[in-house]
Amino acid sequence: MSVLVAVAIVEGAILAERERMLRSSDPSLRALDRATDGVGARLRFEGVVRGLEEGRPIAALDYEVYEPMASRELARVAREEAERAGARSILVLHSSGRVAVGEVSFLCEVASAHRAEALAALAAFVDRMKREVPIWKRVIPADGA
Amino acid sequence: MEFEVRLFGPAAQAARADRLRVRWASSDRRPSPRELLAALGEQHPAVGFALGAARLAVNHAFAADSSRVSPEDEVALIALVGGG
Repeated sequence: MSVLVAVAIVEGAILAERERMLRSSDPSLRALDRATDGVGARLRFEGVVRGLEEGRPIAALDYEVYEPMASRELARVAREEAERAGARSILVLHSSGRVAVGEVSFLCEVASAHRAEALAALAAFVDRMKREVPIWKRVIPADGA
Repeated sequence: MEFEVRLFGPAAQAARADRLRVRWASSDRRPSPRELLAALGEQHPAVGFALGAARLAVNHAFAADSSRVSPEDEVALIALVGGG
């Protein structure tokens, strides 16, 4: 069975209303939301900007994304890891630009028949994304320095 | 031959530039990605710290070591990434 993959780069934080809008307007995300046959586990991971970086308070992270390569690499890695784990679908949203502390900058949702496949696909995907996908983050200190 | 390499993240901050020019001495043989990476490090020591686990992207795809880079290609240094 082929894996459904949907990827999007979002300007700024991944806010709930922006996610809803994407899900209703993007054909690949709509297809993914409809593909529920055989799905017994849906795992959702949100990466949130931490208030401390190496022990120092920060205000935000600024994400630099090399497009279109970043989207292509996100999709390639997501497909490979979902297939390897036996998951049915994988959705990846990643921020570009500034995201304040406490806001969501990365979202990954994996659906599979059983929880083990979704957990394995998510862990492997995040590990590879952090090593292979051309996205960089710069710390914006809380004191503005 | 001369190439332009795009920089991002810590490499761009260290170089204080978002792209660098790299000269390649041979006029009849184009460099492999690995050779171009080595020339980048020799000519621009400021980005040397980022080259350990770096890869070059050519026209928005990771370049195979067996390939050759052309001056017209869009070349990017992909190093020290950190999404998520």
